[in-house]
Amino acid sequence: MKRQRRLGAVAAATALTLGLAACAGGASDNQSTSGGSGSLTFRSWSPIEQTTQQMIAAFKQANPDAKIDATIFNYPEYLVDLQTRAASNTMPDIVGLQPGALTQQYRANLMPLQDCAQKTWGADWQKKFYPIGIEQARMGNPASDENFYTLPLLVQTVNLWANTKIFDEKHAQIPQTWDQLKATVNQLKGGEYAPFMLPAKDSWLRNVVFLQIANNIEPGLVYKAEDSSDSWTNPKLVEAFDYWAKLFTDGIAQKGAIGLDAYPTGANQFEAGNAAMIPLGAWWIQQSDPTKTGLPPLSEGMSGYQPFLFPTIPGGAAQPQLVGGIDVSLGIAKNTKNPDLACKVLTDWIAGAGAQKLINTFNDLPAVTGLNPEKFTSDKQKQIWTTLTSDWMPQVKYSRYLKTPQMDTALGDALSGIATGELTPQAAAAKVQAEQQKVNG
Amino acid sequence: MSDHTVQKHTAPREWLAGTLFLLPAIVLFGIFVIYPIVYNFQASSLDWDGVNPGRFVGLGNYTRLFQDPIFLTTLKNSGWWILLTIIPQALIGFFLAMLLNEKLRGRAIYRAIFFIPAVLSPVVVGIVWQRIFDPFNGVVAKLGRATGLDFLVHGYLADPKTAIFAAIVVNVWMWTGFSMLFYLAGLQLIDSSVLAAAKIDGAGTWRTIRSIIWPLLRQTHLSLLLLGIIGSLKTFELVYVLTEGGPNHASEMLPTYTFKQAFQLQSVGYASTISAVLLLIAVISSLSMVRAFGSGFLTGDEK
Repeated sequence: MKRQRRLGAVAAATALTLGLAACAGGASDNQSTSGGSGSLTFRSWSPIEQTTQQMIAAFKQANPDAKIDATIFNYPEYLVDLQTRAASNTMPDIVGLQPGALTQQYRANLMPLQDCAQKTWGADWQKKFYPIGIEQARMGNPASDENFYTLPLLVQTVNLWANTKIFDEKHAQIPQTWDQLKATVNQLKGGEYAPFMLPAKDSWLRNVVFLQIANNIEPGLVYKAEDSSDSWTNPKLVEAFDYWAKLFTDGIAQKGAIGLDAYPTGANQFEAGNAAMIPLGAWWIQQSDPTKTGLPPLSEGMSGYQPFLFPTIPGGAAQPQLVGGIDVSLGIAKNTKNPDLACKVLTDWIAGAGAQKLINTFNDLPAVTGLNPEKFTSDKQKQIWTTLTSDWMPQVKYSRYLKTPQMDTALGDALSGIATGELTPQAAAAKVQAEQQKVNG
Repeated sequence: MSDHTVQKHTAPREWLAGTLFLLPAIVLFGIFVIYPIVYNFQASSLDWDGVNPGRFVGLGNYTRLFQDPIFLTTLKNSGWWILLTIIPQALIGFFLAMLLNEKLRGRAIYRAIFFIPAVLSPVVVGIVWQRIFDPFNGVVAKLGRATGLDFLVHGYLADPKTAIFAAIVVNVWMWTGFSMLFYLAGLQLIDSSVLAAAKIDGAGTWRTIRSIIWPLLRQTHLSLLLLGIIGSLKTFELVYVLTEGGPNHASEMLPTYTFKQAFQLQSVGYASTISAVLLLIAVISSLSMVRAFGSGFLTGDEK
């Protein structure tokens, strides 16, 4: 008995010692060191592993002494890895981040990048980037903080895609207005495919579709509701919720839309020709990546696809509004041992030889203007690329993200509630507004 | 020197040697079991994003938790999951084990086929079943359209009323082979002479199963019950891939909600509170079972 008590004491002492050695919620020790060892670590969820290795190879061609250790995760796993590393003061030198809440969470662990950018690209470096990328890079910074803790690597629009093979066969027109959308869906019904495939299981997809609708009704109103200068219960936003509901009640979306995920199922179905329209974004052009072999016929040179903007809503803006923003941005750990090398790699991947390799795969749109793939596999692919990068991306005014994960979740939940019939548009708007008030204090 | 004196001198040395032998296990237990638990409980008292310094809120997270309707949904779903997973899995697994314990041609192949789902990745299973259940293009819906059975043409994963039950069906499909394997192992341990004696005494098949085989598999039932409860409380991948806990949190489980709070909503303190409650439920369930049925089913002893 006595022996058991002693063993218990040893275990308790061990636990106590360990508990005191590393407590939850303590501030991490972020001492900066300088000097260069010529090696860096990079962790992210994007670009994919194969492309990242090509970017590293391109950088090493000009910098043969540099060593870059890269690990690419799935997004949820990456969040776990990054949080664990930040908490244990073992941040990778370069990290992939999303703008807004995620960047803000790690702001204290990141170094400001404007000096690096200025040193590399000159004083007017911001002009190299699409305006929405520069705007979103500082999203959520405290009012007095003008620093750039990340710089955009890839940007995107959110929009719709049409399967032109189906449209041509049915002599259908790509819809420009809500009424045309309804008419086109009715025209395309009855086939083996979904006229409008809405993979609404994913919260992010529900939100970007809603943001396109809301901005087409009253451009910019959502963001006013977000900063409390307006309200989510404004009749125009309630109307936006109502139009979201109509996607389900008017039979525009396919049956069971709220149970279908965008990746892999929705994307696979669209690529297999099982849908005439789908809401995704500019990144869909990656399906025609010329470095891949065995592409499905529709994806070969983008032969079977056409991007278009969400149709206008009756009584709303005369033209469809462009919604988009940063896909992935890069940051440098504040305590990196090699800030110069990290800056060199980061700027190379954004606008140098590494960036060229990245863009050659059509992974998404470059964050900087004037950077194009070295090879197009068809005129259609080139035409779509030009539409996305020259016509649309410079005009993107509205963010595809809300500022906080709480609001992203609240909006996603409200849209899900509407889709399943558990919430009316009014009730959903009130629920989102209540959460907004909580977030804004 | 008397025996008593020798004992007195050797006892501390024995104790020291024993402790030294146990030390590696104690240290590992401390690092990998005790420390995370202490850390988790400490984190549950913070308003903390997991990266920046947290703010002490005492029991505030616990108060918030019991007013959180989504948390209450996760508890209800865990209850359904335990009930509707363990019983059907055990009954079907037992039935399959009885069937495949007979001298059947190709018995090993059948056993392997029924066990395959248990070794598949839950992510793969989730993706495949999401497609099977897809009311637009899935196999179940197509079957419904072809046969006129309209109830099959329904978005079971998309309907808040049925999503959790659809996920449970997939889980039962996945793990029944595991139960079958346990019962097969249990059946091998039953003394054939007992069964022969029952036969001589005139017991029919049903009577033999009900009065002899089923009671003799008590340890297997209890082991499966305990594993089932713990497995149900830990369910994550399958639900996350099938429904992401939706629609509108209808199929949310404790681990999926913990993950969302910790890594999507950056509320590690609140997520730790959910984990702490999960841990308490698991410990109380396990201890209650040990108290009710004795520890024999864990150790294999007849206690």
